[in-house]
Order: sequence, then C-alpha cells, then structure tokens
Amino acid sequence: MKFRYLALLLLFLFFNSTVNAQQLYTLNGVITDASSNETLIGVNLLVPEASTGVVTNDYGYYSIKLPQGEYEIEISYIGYQSIQKTINLDSNQKLDFQLTEASESLDEVVITSDIEGLNIRKPEMSVNKLSISTIQKLPVVFGEVDVVRSLLLLPGVSNAGEGSSGFNVRGGAVDQNLILLDEATIYNSSHLFGLFSVFNPDAIKDLKLYKGGIPAKYGGRVSSVLDIYQRDGNSKEFKMQGGIGAISSRLLAEGPIVKDKGSFLIGGRSSYAHLFLKLTDNENSAYFYDLNTKLSYNLDDRNKLLLSGYFGRDVFNISQNFENTYGNAVLNLRWNHIFSDNIFTNLSVIYSDYYYGLNLNFVGFNWDSGIKNLNIKYDFNHYINDNLQLKYGMQNTYYEFNPGEIKPIDEDSGINYFKLTNKYAFENAVYLSAEHRLSDKFSAEYGLRLSTFLRLGQDEINVYEDNHPVEYDAERDIYREADILETVESSRSEVLKAYNNFEPRIALAYTLDENQSIKASYNRMAQYLHLISNTSSPTPLDVWAPSGSFIKPQVLDQYAVGYFRNFKENEFSLEVEGFYKDIDNRIDYIDGANLIANNAIERVVLNGESRAYGMELLLRKNTGRLTGWLAYTLSKSEQRTPGRTAIEPGINNGNWYNTNYDKTHDLSMTGSYELNRKWQLNANFIFQTGLATTYPNAQYEYEGINIPVYGERNGDRLPSYHRLDLSATYEPGVKEGKKVESFWTFGLYNVYNRQNAYSISFRENSDTGENEAVRLSLFGIIPSVTYNFKF
Amino acid sequence: MKKLILYIPILLVFIFSSCEEVVNIDLEESEPRLVIEASIVWFKGTRGNEQSIKLSETSPFYEEELIPVENASVKITAQDGEEFVFAYDLNGNYVNTGFDPDLNQSYQLEIIYEDQVYTASEKLISVTPLDYVEQTESGGFSGTDIEIKAYYTDPAEEQNYYLFKFRDDDLSLEIYEDEFTNGNQIFGYYSNDDIKAEDLIEIQIQGISKSYYEYLFILRSQVGSSDGGPFETMPATVKGNIINQTNPDNYPFGYFRLSEADSTFYNVE
Repeated sequence: MKFRYLALLLLFLFFNSTVNAQQLYTLNGVITDASSNETLIGVNLLVPEASTGVVTNDYGYYSIKLPQGEYEIEISYIGYQSIQKTINLDSNQKLDFQLTEASESLDEVVITSDIEGLNIRKPEMSVNKLSISTIQKLPVVFGEVDVVRSLLLLPGVSNAGEGSSGFNVRGGAVDQNLILLDEATIYNSSHLFGLFSVFNPDAIKDLKLYKGGIPAKYGGRVSSVLDIYQRDGNSKEFKMQGGIGAISSRLLAEGPIVKDKGSFLIGGRSSYAHLFLKLTDNENSAYFYDLNTKLSYNLDDRNKLLLSGYFGRDVFNISQNFENTYGNAVLNLRWNHIFSDNIFTNLSVIYSDYYYGLNLNFVGFNWDSGIKNLNIKYDFNHYINDNLQLKYGMQNTYYEFNPGEIKPIDEDSGINYFKLTNKYAFENAVYLSAEHRLSDKFSAEYGLRLSTFLRLGQDEINVYEDNHPVEYDAERDIYREADILETVESSRSEVLKAYNNFEPRIALAYTLDENQSIKASYNRMAQYLHLISNTSSPTPLDVWAPSGSFIKPQVLDQYAVGYFRNFKENEFSLEVEGFYKDIDNRIDYIDGANLIANNAIERVVLNGESRAYGMELLLRKNTGRLTGWLAYTLSKSEQRTPGRTAIEPGINNGNWYNTNYDKTHDLSMTGSYELNRKWQLNANFIFQTGLATTYPNAQYEYEGINIPVYGERNGDRLPSYHRLDLSATYEPGVKEGKKVESFWTFGLYNVYNRQNAYSISFRENSDTGENEAVRLSLFGIIPSVTYNFKF
Repeated sequence: MKKLILYIPILLVFIFSSCEEVVNIDLEESEPRLVIEASIVWFKGTRGNEQSIKLSETSPFYEEELIPVENASVKITAQDGEEFVFAYDLNGNYVNTGFDPDLNQSYQLEIIYEDQVYTASEKLISVTPLDYVEQTESGGFSGTDIEIKAYYTDPAEEQNYYLFKFRDDDLSLEIYEDEFTNGNQIFGYYSNDDIKAEDLIEIQIQGISKSYYEYLFILRSQVGSSDGGPFETMPATVKGNIINQTNPDNYPFGYFRLSEADSTFYNVE
C-alpha cells in the first residue's frame, strides 16, 4: 500500500512540473580541463538571470533547458578559473567548455563565485567530497597519501583502530560500504591488512562519499557509497608523474592516442619488497603493488568509449613455508551515448573479482578462494527541464562465489583435496530517481529502487531438521552446528530462494535564505552479500557469502536531518546533521564459530539486528591562506542477536552490545596554511573515545593453562586515542626552460609520540607466571619524506 | 590446519616493530564459580587405574593462586553400574586408584558441592598411536626455529578429533580434526623460538569427542597465543558439559571427558 501512495506522489510531482509549457531550448555539452581534456565532474554552470543552474555529471556532461533569450552564464569549479560567457539561446545548442586551472599564486584574485550557493539549495546531504589536491596535502603515516585514511578525518567516518582494514560509516560495518572504482565494485579496499588503501591517488580524479540520503542509483550495500572515478588521461600531450616515498613509489604515464580524441593512462605503484623484513637477514617478504589503466576515445560528438582496468595484489612470503597472495582485479568497458540533447546514457560492462590464495608448504597444501562477478549497468540522465532531472536505469550482476578449495601440493601431503561448494546468484535492480526543484525555496530528490536477488542452484545443498542449521542445546546452554540430514543437488538454472525489496529514497532541501538551508532525508537499502568475519576488523581471507534460505538480506532504514550554512561570503561553511539508522538481519556468529574452510556457514550464524545514531558537525574554512576543517561526531553503534525462541538466550544473552567500531566522541581538526609560494604547512589533530573491548573479570586454571573469564561483550573501553600530525609541502617552482614540476612533502606522524593502544591483551607472563595486562601500540612518532614529480 | 591460516594477521604486528608495554588496568571481579577439571586419561600400555579430578574456584584475574575446593563429593559411575568414588587428596585433587577404563563405554560424573549437584556424561574415546617424531628447522618468522612434527595415522572410517600436548618449559595444547586429512598419515605440530637442542619434550596424543573439540576450540580462542587487536575474535563464555542440576544459572567451568592417549618423549637435536 505504501508504495501506491509513493507512486501517486511521483505522478503528482511530474505533473506539477510540466504544466507551464513555453518555448524551451536545450543547452548541453561537456566541460573539460583545458590542459588535458580531462572531463570535470561536479562543475557548476549557473544562469543567474533565470536563477537556475546545473552541475556536470560523472562524465563531465551537462544539459539545461531554458526559455529563448540571451543569458550570461557562469561556470565555476574549485581550483579552476571561472568563465563568464554570454549566449544567445534561440535554438538547441551544444556548447563545450574548457576550464583553466587557477594559478597557485595567492596574489592573484581567484574568482570564487557562488560555488557553495548551489549546494545550499540542492537536496543532496550527508555527502562528502575530497579533492585529490586536498588529500595530497594531509599529513599521513609514512608520508603515504591515502584516500581511505583521509576519509577518516570526515565526520561520521571512522575505523576499528589504527591498522585495521576498511572504514566504518555512521556506525555501519566495513562490508556495508559500496566501493566503486569507475563504477566497478571493489571487494577489499586495503593493502597490508588495512594500513593503506588500494587506490593510487595519482590515478584518481574525483571521489564522493555518500553517508546518507543515498540516491536510488546506488544499491547493494546498506551503509555508504564511496564513488571513485579514475582520470581518463591527457589527450593533448604526453605527461608523466610519480613519487618516491618511504613505503612505496608511484609512476604514471598518460597521453593522447589520437590528439583531442583519445587518451591513455597507465599508472603503477609498488611498495618495496622486504621493506621491513630485510633488516633481519631472512627470506621473508611483504609487499603490494597495483596497476591502474584507462583508455578513452571520443567516437564522435555523441559517443565515447572508456576502458578501464585495475589490478592489485598483496604478497607475503615467510621463509618459503608460507606464501599468501590476495587482491582485486577489475575490467570495465563503458559507452557514453547522448541520445538527444537532454538524454545522456552510460552503458557499463564490468568484470570484477577478488582473489585470496595461500600456500602452506610445511603443512603441504594450497588454498584458493574468491568472488567473481559480471555486471551490466545501463544508466540514463534525463534532463526534462531546468527544474527536473530524471535518473533511471537498470543493473544486473551475476556472482560466482568460491568459498575455498584445498589442494595438496604433492603426493606426500597429508591433506586431502577438498572443494567447498561454489555458490551462484543474480542481483538485479531497476531505479528511477528525480532531482526536482519544486519552488524557489524547496527542492527534492526522490526515487525508488526495486532490487531482486536470486540465489541460484548449486552442487550441494544441506537439509536440516526443521530448517534450523544452528541447534540450541538447552541443557548446556550453548549453540552448536546442527547435523546435516541430507545433501541435495540442484541445477544452476533453478532459483533456490528469491528476495525482492522496494527501496524508496527521498531527500528534501528547504532554503531559509541565500546562506542557510535545512535538509532531511530517508533511505531504505537492501544488501544481499555478507562478509563472513567474526574478528574485530575484517581480514583478507574473509569470504563473501550470498543471502539464501538461511541468511537473509540486510535491510536498512536511515533518517537524517541537517542544517547547512555559509558564513562571510562562503569563507566558512557549517554542516550539522543528525542521523538514525537500523539494519535488520545483521548476522552474528555463535561462540566458537569456525569460519575458515567452513562449507556450511549457515550452521554458525544467527540473524540479528544493528542500529546506530548520532550527530555530526563539520565546520570548514574554504578560502584564504588558512583553510581546513573541524569535524566532530557524537554517535553510538550497537548490535544484538536475540534468541529465536523464548528459551534461547541469543548472543550476549540477547542484549545490545557496542560494535567493535563504536566511538562515542570522534574529533578531528585539519588545517593547511600557505606560508608563501613555496611552503605550505599542514596539521591534523585527532581525538577519539577508545574502542569498545572486553576485559576479563576472573581467571581459572584448566589442563595446566590459565583461562581468563570475560565480562559483558564489548562492555569496556580502550584508553582514549589522540595524536597530532604535521607536514610541510615544499614546491621549488618551475625553473626557466625546465619542464619538471616537483614538490616535497615532509611529515611527522604522531608528533608527541602518544602510545595509543592498538589493543590491550591479557596474558600470563612466562617469566614470573603472573597475569598481566599488555598494551600494544602500533605507531609512535614517525617522520617521513616523499618526493613527487610531474613533467 | 584451519588454525594455521589464522597466523597471518600476526604478521602485521611483526612488520611494524610495534611497542608492547605492561600497563595497569583495573578490572572488575566476578563472583567465584566452581571449576571442574575431570579429565580421565588412559595411556596405552597402562591399566589406567589411577585417575584424579581437580576442583577449584575462579579467582580475580590478577590473583592466580589456585583456590582448591576441598569438601565436595566426587563419583563416576560406569555404564555397567560400577561406581568409582574419588577421595580428596590435596590441592583440590580427588583421586581413585581402582578406576577401570573401557573404550567407548559411557561414564557418568556426579559432584555434590555446597548442596548443589553437578552431573555430566561422556564416552571414553580411543586414539591411534603416535608413529614417529620428526624435527625440522625452518619454522617461525625467522625461518630457523625448531619444529617438532609428531606423526600419526588417522583411521579413515570415522570422524576423529585429537588433542596434542607438547610439554617443554611450557605446555602447549593443539587440537586437530580430520575433515581435510581423513585416513592420512599427518602430524601434530609444535614450534616456537624457545625450543633448543637437548630439550626433552613430552608429546601426548589423546582421542577426544567432537563436543570436547568444540569446547577446546572456544577455550583456546580465549587464551590466544596472539596479541589481540583487530583480528581477534570476540571473547565468549566457555561453557562445558557439566550441568548444575540444582541451579543451572550457577554453571561450573571445565569439562568431564575420558580419553585414550599415547605418549612419547623426544630429545631435541
């Protein structure tokens, strides 16, 4: 019933916007960088006379309908010189613009026209953008510029401690983030167990993080969307850039294939093998590398092809006994086509996989696991008029899950060959979304996504008594794996279980005056894949499992409200948001669940729920010599798994408990000061409540070992986390006749050498035999130098 | 085998020469609970008549002296009705010298302590003998640690679960199942950087039940040889098979189990 009303509402809104018809013409085109022809995402095109405007889409395209007439249009983009141009619109016109980068010099007046003004009006909320140039200046550990680490400085984004993998958005889990690189899903965003992310900053053009009010275009994960676009490459001239750092080095080449029509980009990054390990004279190594590639070609005015690829691996090797390799690979072909002046489409065909391999020589086996998917997306941007833009499309994904395969390395091996049953699934979605200006003060973005998930047949399906794969032993008061009654087979064309979800999305903005607005949003999202992990933070060997008969899809409802304000002619901006979300069917694991090489994961999981709520504040200083922001988040993130029946206790006695990434207070301050043309100084300060953990409250001796007895799950806290980082960027400037531009970054991480607790563990001291608490801290003060060049 | 895969995250800690420090953490203290170590172990080639059961209470985490339980009554009843009463000796140990172990037979444990009755039942699980012990020197992070491999041949026709005990200066418990090694000759594995030449290592293989294997799996994860942090599993309450029939909420820790065992001593070269 609810959806019928929604459909009526949609109809009404359409109707409302199409009543006042008059002669309209379309202005459309692509906005690019003048030096490289790189398309620019999110450029503002304003038409002050008509008090309207448009923003370029993910492929640099814009389209706007205006009544016949003469207009002065303004095009502005952060970091670029604005353009003003008078046009006489008496027919449909295609007009491409090229923007020139603003000179770095402070003395020149850079026109910073109403950049934020439009955002005040837009219903878009809970979205953070970080430009690559901002990210490059932030002080970071080992001087390694890192996309995900930078996100952690934003409100509502945190992680489960230094050196943990992934990131958590608004109290959501790591596997609930949809990470897209050029529209392709990335399953593991971490190198070196989470110290670095898989994104090479040199190859990235733009990134956007949606924490709430997520448009209907996105789905499949419930917590957030990190949408990252790679650069297309320079189609004007050949360029190279790179950097040499403490951990890794980077090199990227780009240039035209056909001048002004086609370009290529290829970028590689590698850490130094044996980096930390060589010191101890042994044959161990630990390193990572990744490769980003892109080809783009403009077939004609209306058609463009883009081929992009990513390949990354982490490799660990310990004294020939142990070899571990894992990483993502992505290949993606896209076709941009402009149907008419106001319909832009993108068709993507994407292959993406995640591989985890292990070779344990001393035990005598190899282990392989992974996930593969083939994804076809067709997305339409339809510019109806200057008040209404529609986005609609469809997405189909076919998944193949390989939970693991064990192969003995030779005949002498004591290990038998074993294949965990492959799983298959189809995920489909159609969506319709409208960006709609309802009046001068009121605008909305609303839409609906209909997603379906089909779990397909597989070789072995377990059958359990009463369909309960987890058994409760009331006498001993424990959960355990139920016995498998029989195993049946079904064909791959058969649907074992189907799920449908209506996912309404709505975001509203009401402009109070030129500088202030209030916004509200609601979104429902469904997630059909689950990362099977019962450690505090995911590990690379965790496998993804599809929903099915026993594991249900996670379904989120999120509500957010916010207040947005620009001060002092946009020198400062303030964003305050409150959010509440709950997620059904968040799985949890029974005590003693063994997830490794488990062919029947359903026997160790129970369906539970999670919720999170909080308040975020972001105060930014956007212009002047000193820029930066202060971000503060006050939040709570919890989870619970009640018993299935009244006599069962559930997990943690069915009580809510803090998630591993719950942080009550999370404060970060980031500042950047331009001292002069050559030097720029940057600083971060971070303060966070310590992570939730569990301390023992007793101990006993059993079979000769001391066993700690633990209290309420995650009922204790590690000590507070705080640190200060500093960095300085030095740009010597380009010398006459030389083409090499370069800059140096000098960094100091954790300046006052705070021994932040990575963990507190409890153990028996092997010398004294006494129990003790041990704090492990990962990073003390770390200086770093990075050299970057461009020519 | 499964456990070996889990060693990986520990790498992280190694890589970044991290800093460990003993710190003062105030801990809450829970009410004492009864701990029952009722492990009946019958070594191959012995009569298995001397058995003991140890009762103690939990103590605050930083105070480890054993709190023995002295005035309990402890009794095991065999399937055939034969009763074995365990009499208090010292340090919480209750002994019986006339025990009569019988493979695959069921036994009932009954303990009465402070007017509460605790019971459990379990079968005596058989075990395959140790075949031989091999020593190699490529273990650990340095690739030069001494490794001890104690080989045994898994019977193919049934599911088997094993407890290995390696006693050097310290005691190490390792557990194995035969899911991926069924019917093969395979080894129990012990390695650390304290093992040195001339050490005399006691090696035991014990046959255990599936549910005791699951119990030990959880128990071991509570102790952990690793150092905590993001790759640790959540702590759990480790409940055994002994039920407090009088007041189930006042459950005891520990387990009642009966195992056949084989043992050998190995001289490190």
